[in-house]
Amino acid sequence: MDFATLAAQLNAGTILPEGIVITTLLVVLVGDLIVGRSSNRWTPYVAIAGLLGAIVALYYQWDLSDPISFLGSFNSDALSIVFRGIIALSAAVTVLMSIRYVEQSGTSLAEFIVILMTATVGGMFLAGADELVTIYVALETLSISSYLLTGYMKRDPRSNEAALKYLLIGAASSAIFLYGVSLLYGLSGGETRLSVITTNIAANNVDQSIGVVIALVFVIAGIAFKIAAVPFHQWTPDVYEGSPTPVVAFLSVGSKAAGFVLAVRLLVSAFPLVSEQWHFVLTALALLSMILGNVVALAQTSMKRLLAYSSIGQAGFVMIGLIIGTEAGYASMIFYLLVYLFMNLGGFACVILFSLRTGTDEISEYSGLYQKDPLLTLALSICLLSLGGIPPLAGFFGKLYLFWAGWQAGAYWLVLVGLMTSVVSIYYYIRVVKMMVVKEADEMSESVKNYPASDWNLEGMRPLQVSLIVTLVATSLAGILSNPLFALANGSVEKTPLLQSSLNTAQTALVDQSVATSSTPAPL
Amino acid sequence: MNIADGVQVVSFAVLALMMLGAALGVVLLNNIVYSAFLLGLVFISISGLYILLNAGFVAAAQVLIYVGAVNVLILFGIMLVNKRQPFAPVRSAWLSKVATAVVCLGIFALLGTMVLATPWQLSTEAIAGDGALVKIGLHFFSDFLLPFELASVLLLMALIGAIVLARREYLPDELEEETVLTLPERPRELTSSGSRSNP
Repeated sequence: MDFATLAAQLNAGTILPEGIVITTLLVVLVGDLIVGRSSNRWTPYVAIAGLLGAIVALYYQWDLSDPISFLGSFNSDALSIVFRGIIALSAAVTVLMSIRYVEQSGTSLAEFIVILMTATVGGMFLAGADELVTIYVALETLSISSYLLTGYMKRDPRSNEAALKYLLIGAASSAIFLYGVSLLYGLSGGETRLSVITTNIAANNVDQSIGVVIALVFVIAGIAFKIAAVPFHQWTPDVYEGSPTPVVAFLSVGSKAAGFVLAVRLLVSAFPLVSEQWHFVLTALALLSMILGNVVALAQTSMKRLLAYSSIGQAGFVMIGLIIGTEAGYASMIFYLLVYLFMNLGGFACVILFSLRTGTDEISEYSGLYQKDPLLTLALSICLLSLGGIPPLAGFFGKLYLFWAGWQAGAYWLVLVGLMTSVVSIYYYIRVVKMMVVKEADEMSESVKNYPASDWNLEGMRPLQVSLIVTLVATSLAGILSNPLFALANGSVEKTPLLQSSLNTAQTALVDQSVATSSTPAPL
Repeated sequence: MNIADGVQVVSFAVLALMMLGAALGVVLLNNIVYSAFLLGLVFISISGLYILLNAGFVAAAQVLIYVGAVNVLILFGIMLVNKRQPFAPVRSAWLSKVATAVVCLGIFALLGTMVLATPWQLSTEAIAGDGALVKIGLHFFSDFLLPFELASVLLLMALIGAIVLARREYLPDELEEETVLTLPERPRELTSSGSRSNP
């Protein structure tokens, strides 16, 4: 194989968006090295420009005729494009809200951005990885940069504790994941490409082996850790509470989206032989996540812990779309993640702003905020109500679509539990809103009494304001003007060969079943 | 059985016994330094198994990376910390030990059954042997090009992260804006001196 044919076979144009992000990362890194501390004035904007450039490049890849590249390592289909867009967008918004925060904590900004962008690159590669080695390396890139980001405020013991916990639990779960993946490699007779694994397993007559089920369980353990599904969620509250808030924002959206796309790709393409089993396991995980996440959130006193448990519950909702596995199911899952991106990042932007101005994350300290900062109160209320699913905000339509798709597919129990736990979730979201809005002037908390006057002209506050307004507008309007998002979600499912083929086999299986039942003569 | 097979069987038995014994020592010994050294022994025995399997390169990499880097790093970590802290004996600690042993044996039984029950497909290709290095190189620059290159980004970031975590930070002077904006992130010196008062 000579070089020219190899270069043509690699089809390397498909990773242009990741290339843009990596180039930007190097520009930020080298620029900061050369210019020094004063580079803080431009590096974040270069990073944001790079991430938005990556999204533009993704847009031009939408109609790619040949998405498979790097000899089967990478699959740039429509599904991966949507998820890479979600990850890059969440990173861009996170950079916007982290500028002031990182400056204020006295740590260097450029390294923070570099590590955040590496995490983004890892997540984006994970979204398109179509081969076991690439999946693992991309997963590790994402995880290790997440551990570093979690421990970035190294003078703060809470951040150290969070990083250590995240590292230990994360390393254990990734080892388990690797063991499951190695079983897949062995069972398929030494094959790493996802698309070939199933046929090889069937051809090798090991599809009845208990090994496939063990591989499935281990792989699900790794994925469930990434998306923080119960019972693999124990790290979430502590890590969310201890790590810097912008990092939490990225972990709860970008990292979670990467986990979901990994789940779709790995489970749908490598485990169709045990599809009943993985549906069963995921149903259990989704039920537990919805119930435990939303019920435990009721008792939280810290805003970051509240959002941690709420994100566990939200992961349970999103899993409904994955479990039912219909076209509407996948589309509703993507739609919900798109909406969740804006509302959750908006919520975290508000938490960051509040903690910058008052130095606390306690929920009780929010009381009476309405009288001092109406904009922050409005933005936080809208985002929380949208997370709870109050019409006409974006979250309502997201949940409506998810539950409708679930009901259509006959997953009645999942939808019923989802509905009940959303009612529970509305209670604790509204508790915060009530705390901010209803309290009289004499019931104000100490930190709100000492609330500083809003000064957006401080360095780094403008970007925070921009991220706040953008997410606020997106959260309030994405529900009513949701057609482009619907079209995007539906289009990505329609244009993804992997999902289409799995839908077709599910349909033919259904038809076979109905034919079999109708042709069997009824016993007399 | 000719003499080559005999040597193989005997060396497998020796390596396996060495590995199991050392691994048990890692878990069961109380002194962490002994555990760290025994961990090195486990890694060396594993590399011996690789040699028995005709994978010389993997064995060399195992010794270089795990014994030479990982294990030495662990020893450095232990010796730099150098903190003798007597642990208060936990009451009914045997219960958790028994539970751990039961869980471990259960997993071992499950995995062992799986390995024995599965009709593994053995590759019919000739064993690469010393040609493995060339094959690995070919794979790195053809079908595993993407993960290979991505690993370089991962290593760069790990390097930066290690420097960020390890470098000495100076406490910045009180900023003028400190009164306007605050954060819950506290410098460590302040918290530790504050929390020492309540033991």
